[in-house]
Amino acid sequence: MQYLTALLPRITLKQALILGGASAPPLVGGAGVLAILLYLMAAGGTATPAPEQPIAFDHSVHAGDAAIPCEFCHRGVGSQAAATVPSVEQCMFCHSVVKTDSPQIQLLQAHWDTNTPVNWARVHRVPDHVRFVHAPHIQAGVACETCHGDVASMEEVKQVRSLAMGDCQGCHRENSASLDCATCHK
Amino acid sequence: MSSSANEAASRASAVSSMGQTIPTDAEVGHPEGVRWGMVVDLDRCTGCQACVVACQAENNIALNEEQRVLERRAKTWIRIERYWEGEFPNAKARFIPVLCQHCGNAPCETVCPVWATYHNNEGLNVQVYNRCIGTRFCANGCPYSVRYFNFWNPEWPEPMNNQLNPDVTVRTKGIIEKCTFCVQRINRVQVTAKTEGREIRSGEVQPACAQSCPTSALVFCDLNDPESAPAQLAEAEAGRSYTLLEHFGTDPGVIYLKKVDPHAEIHEDEHVHAGAHA
Ligand code: HEC
Ligand code: HEC
Ligand code: HEC
Ligand code: HEC
Ligand code: HEC
Repeated sequence: MQYLTALLPRITLKQALILGGASAPPLVGGAGVLAILLYLMAAGGTATPAPEQPIAFDHSVHAGDAAIPCEFCHRGVGSQAAATVPSVEQCMFCHSVVKTDSPQIQLLQAHWDTNTPVNWARVHRVPDHVRFVHAPHIQAGVACETCHGDVASMEEVKQVRSLAMGDCQGCHRENSASLDCATCHK
Repeated sequence: MSSSANEAASRASAVSSMGQTIPTDAEVGHPEGVRWGMVVDLDRCTGCQACVVACQAENNIALNEEQRVLERRAKTWIRIERYWEGEFPNAKARFIPVLCQHCGNAPCETVCPVWATYHNNEGLNVQVYNRCIGTRFCANGCPYSVRYFNFWNPEWPEPMNNQLNPDVTVRTKGIIEKCTFCVQRINRVQVTAKTEGREIRSGEVQPACAQSCPTSALVFCDLNDPESAPAQLAEAEAGRSYTLLEHFGTDPGVIYLKKVDPHAEIHEDEHVHAGAHA
């Protein structure tokens, strides 16, 4: 299903409803198929399934219950292009003592002992020809949730906003940020 | 100026075939009135090619193997043109570094059917690689021959593939590429300046070519910034300054400085003599 949604153009749920409403009556027989297709297109536009992670890291425990600030782990976010994902060392501040009996934490411990990084799967990724920089967005007061959704309550992070060109430009237009192609393309 | 205003007006209502509105000139870019440009002092250029190498490395330009050069399909966003003045033994080598002139009135921009090349509000002639469909009209329209077509997908032998610059797209087969004035460096400085809550300092942006020039023959600047040293230089040295193929009216953003050699004429007379004797 992932592959099917990737092939179809992304639309919002609202667009799907309008399209469905306009084109379903003449095609009563095909309406079921159409509805499924439109659902898939809308689903592709609003949420991409979370990739499998090597360690079951849970944001709702850390950023939610423990209320650790995002910037504690994603240190680059306010000053550079990449937010960056924390090193094993940073997890070990706490996990050298917290929950050391858990099998997941033992996986983490193994990385620490062998001095190897955790190979986290990327969730958000703009194409190679796009330049995205976190710093100016955070400086301009755009909250993480605006683009990433309520990560603090997610057990596993998944992409909830399209972040395709029209989406970026929509917000840039509203905020009088740059619409020059050279701002986002490299 | 009025012509660009007309152009902006005619673009204001432009709607692409996909039904999306294309941003107007006023909406595009930063309004500060920056015009990025370069002053090239030919009296300082020694033709060492450091700029060529630096540019190649910074911008992920494919390697120019011998075969490519022979086919005249080598890519060098900046190249050193060499001219001989006089005859041996009274010969002098003259060098002219030629790069995209970022023309204010660029012939390449008007011929692009998909608006993949356009002028931004900071005086850059921008090439949007992912937009380019490879008609090559722009390369044919460019009087300076500084636009290069990718006839092949670029390849780098190990371990050179590991030195690619992540801030620059690797261009695929079938599209045009050219000097960007290292727009990735301009963007980076702009974000840094914004994060630190200040204006960009004069001379803070350095493209790879200017940075690597051992004699400072290439100097990058905001031509509209009266404070910038090169802009002042171009002004002060008005007698020495010219632009390439001025009579085409392309309004280049690259200004060349060259002292007219008072002896050049004498040499020429000598040749005439030498010729007459022979
Ligand atoms: C204890 C450290 C920690 C804290 C606190 C934390 N994160 Fe994360 N974050 C991680 C790790 C580790 C990953 C990589 C694993 C994953 O994707 O789940 C990650 C991944 C992400 C990703 C996906 C990155 C990608 O690959 O695209 C986003 C988005 C994100 N975090 C946002 C947030 C936000 C927003 C907050 C604050 C509400 C936050 N994080 C707080 C450690 C943390
Ligand atoms: C500020 C302290 C702190 C940091 C830093 C921290 N954690 Fe945690 N972690 C916790 C707490 C508290 C819990 C909840 C323990 C519990 O359920 O009793 C937890 C739970 C977990 C669990 C669930 C364990 C289980 O079996 O229930 C995993 C997995 C985990 N953390 C991984 C990580 C990783 C990976 C990092 C580094 C990116 C990290 N943690 C950084 C405090 C921290
Ligand atoms: C304007 C939208 C936007 C905002 C606001 C935003 N992000 Fe992101 N984030 C993105 C995009 C787009 C990517 C993918 C970047 C890429 O592929 O280079 C991303 C990637 C990430 C990643 C993984 C890749 C990386 O850069 O290391 C993390 C972690 C992340 N964001 C965390 C955060 C946190 C934490 C915040 C809030 C402090 C935040 N983001 C705010 C859009 C945003
Ligand atoms: C929710 C609103 C929002 C979204 C979504 C958004 N941006 Fe932005 N963007 C902004 C704001 C606000 C600024 C800051 C403008 C300023 O400071 O002048 C900005 C600035 C930028 C800059 C820096 C511009 C500069 O000054 O050099 C880049 C690059 C950028 N955005 C790229 C993107 C890309 C790529 C995406 C889509 C993946 C995106 N943005 C999505 C609001 C957004
Ligand atoms: C605010 C940021 C932003 C601006 C400004 C912007 N783009 Fe984009 N553009 C993107 C993003 C992000 C994508 C990637 C969308 C995706 O594939 O998810 C993209 C994709 C594209 C693509 C599709 C490439 C492909 O092969 O899929 C083209 C073509 C394109 N942009 C051209 C342009 C042109 C021309 C302009 C100037 C008029 C422009 N863009 C301005 C953010 C931007």
